[in-house]
Amino acid sequence: MSLLSGIVRKLSEDIKNILTVPAETARDITYTVEGIRSGKISPTEPLKTVGATAGALVLVLALLFPVYWILQAALSGSGASLYSADGISIFPDDPTLQAFVWVVGDLIIPGYSIAFDVPLTNVSLVFDTPEVTLLDASTYGVDRPSSFKHFLWNSITVAIPTVIISMCLIVPASYALSRRQFIFRRKILFLYVLLTQVGGGLGVALLIGLYAIYVQFGVNDSKLALSVYYAATAVPFNTWLLKTYMDGIPVSYEEAAVVDGAPPWRVVTEVIIPLSTAGLATVFIFTFLTGWTEFVVAQTLLGTDNYTLPVGLYSLVDEYSIPWARFSAFALTFAMPIMLVYLFAQRYIEGGLSFSGMEG
Amino acid sequence: MSTASRVVHRLEEVPFLESRDASLLFVLPGLFVFSTFMLFPVLYLIGVSFTNAAPSNLFAGEGVFSVMTFGEATFVGLQNYTDVLTDPEFWNSFGVTWLFVATSVALKICLSLGVALVVTNERVRGRRLMRSFIILPMGLPAIFTITVWRGIFSSAEFGLVNQVLGIFGAESVAWLSTRWPAFFAYNITEMWLAYPFMVIITVSALQDVPEELHEAATVDGAGLISRFFHVTLPSIKRPVLFASILTAAASFQQFLIPYVFNQGGPARANELIVVYGYREALSFSEYGRGAAVSLIAVVFIGAFMWINVKRGKLADGVSDE
Repeated sequence: MSLLSGIVRKLSEDIKNILTVPAETARDITYTVEGIRSGKISPTEPLKTVGATAGALVLVLALLFPVYWILQAALSGSGASLYSADGISIFPDDPTLQAFVWVVGDLIIPGYSIAFDVPLTNVSLVFDTPEVTLLDASTYGVDRPSSFKHFLWNSITVAIPTVIISMCLIVPASYALSRRQFIFRRKILFLYVLLTQVGGGLGVALLIGLYAIYVQFGVNDSKLALSVYYAATAVPFNTWLLKTYMDGIPVSYEEAAVVDGAPPWRVVTEVIIPLSTAGLATVFIFTFLTGWTEFVVAQTLLGTDNYTLPVGLYSLVDEYSIPWARFSAFALTFAMPIMLVYLFAQRYIEGGLSFSGMEG
Repeated sequence: MSTASRVVHRLEEVPFLESRDASLLFVLPGLFVFSTFMLFPVLYLIGVSFTNAAPSNLFAGEGVFSVMTFGEATFVGLQNYTDVLTDPEFWNSFGVTWLFVATSVALKICLSLGVALVVTNERVRGRRLMRSFIILPMGLPAIFTITVWRGIFSSAEFGLVNQVLGIFGAESVAWLSTRWPAFFAYNITEMWLAYPFMVIITVSALQDVPEELHEAATVDGAGLISRFFHVTLPSIKRPVLFASILTAAASFQQFLIPYVFNQGGPARANELIVVYGYREALSFSEYGRGAAVSLIAVVFIGAFMWINVKRGKLADGVSDE
């Protein structure tokens, strides 16, 4: 729980910071203007700052342009295409959320009747919950909404087991590799470093073997089998990452806990786990994303009914025409949670990927 | 006696193990699962590469036994390998792959180093926020961004790149149906896909550079450029090197970009090696040949990683004895 409240505290700090930015900037500017007037600050200094910031802003905008472009396509309705005859437009002509409605489809919680039998009597109480309509797609002119929710369910049932399985495999292993000495330790580490990047990518090269084996064991259409596979590919890189992160935690903290009489498991739960939050968060996100965004293996192994979001997304594309508005809206809805996590977890990820154990 | 200590006791009875080696038990599950899903397909692939496997014969029969005998495929010895190694298309794919690794890694390092330096520069206001936004592309599914980049590089006159070219008065280019423009498009896309990861690592490394070093260098009269080469670069060398090796391996195994853009075309000219193997197997139903190609790719990427890990002394950075 302390972890959760910590995250909430950091988030509210972030929000407070963002909200006070205008005031801070205004104060900064008045201070600088005063300074220049009284001659304390040379006028070239603020000019340099403004120039550097503007340059950086241009760079960031240029890099993010494709993302913006997608958003614009998603907002410009059913007739959208990424190619417009009259040049590049900055804003969509008349923005509409229709494509997003098409993606999300109906949000209707159906009415249920709940019956209770009152004990010892013949009376039974029946409650009818009302039907709650949050969003009715047909009122927005969308007749056949996408199967987004179906794909979403498939993706969730693939990604969550992936995270659980891989965390169970990764966390104890990285702790042991970071803190204990044992036989084959160096060999295993070397192997993991060697395999760090090979895991995911070689999946394609090994796909033929994997496919044949899965088909013959009859698990080629099983979501659980797929998530075990994802967890397996995530092991080397993430174990190594978390191990490197744990190396950065000073051993003296654990020694202090041991001196205070903490048993080994409490050292882990009270010292190691809380101190490696950033590393754990990074590993969590990475393993989640393995299952959430992988395409090739999922497409080859899964049947139409079990398609995950990326496969469902690509099935919108046909050889000659891409329904850009729907395609982009679909992708953005699918990526939005991840982008939000990135936005807020950026400091954790930066810390988690710092490889603080490998200076030198 | 608890189970844990009983296990430790049992371990001590094994001649070459000591009680502390019980920690190995923490690592074994992960290693086991990984090996099952990676080594087993590799072994299977080795087997298949010596047969004339195709969908018609490989999936004949069911169950564990027919996995071992590769269905009804027959043994053809080294024929797949000799076929592949004498096929000019394979060597073309091989060469294009290494070229792609070289060019895309160079581009990725330059872009990410540049971006990282800009978003950590003290003069830039709001750099924290910029850093948050700049890694957003990492959250988008690769299959989606690659399809979008295919649209950007569309050969039609209305593709974004062609429109930009049009503004400068240049002619439209048929990006995806000519060989080197397509290769160029692969590079740009790969660069854009990989920069968030590289930038994060470089930024973290840059923040670990001690401020005193910069101050000392400034006092000694070092300019911006010589500070970069003599202070910044040496201190961030190792993390950046590590990221480059990872990203080089990723480039080597790039599959989605060529596959989505134009199936490694035009006319199989730009098939990176993984695409080549995949297409041999699944598009042309030559499982045996596909397996042979994939294995050759595995051997090369393995050797590449091994050399880099050895030479870059990356495993040393991991073990702190």
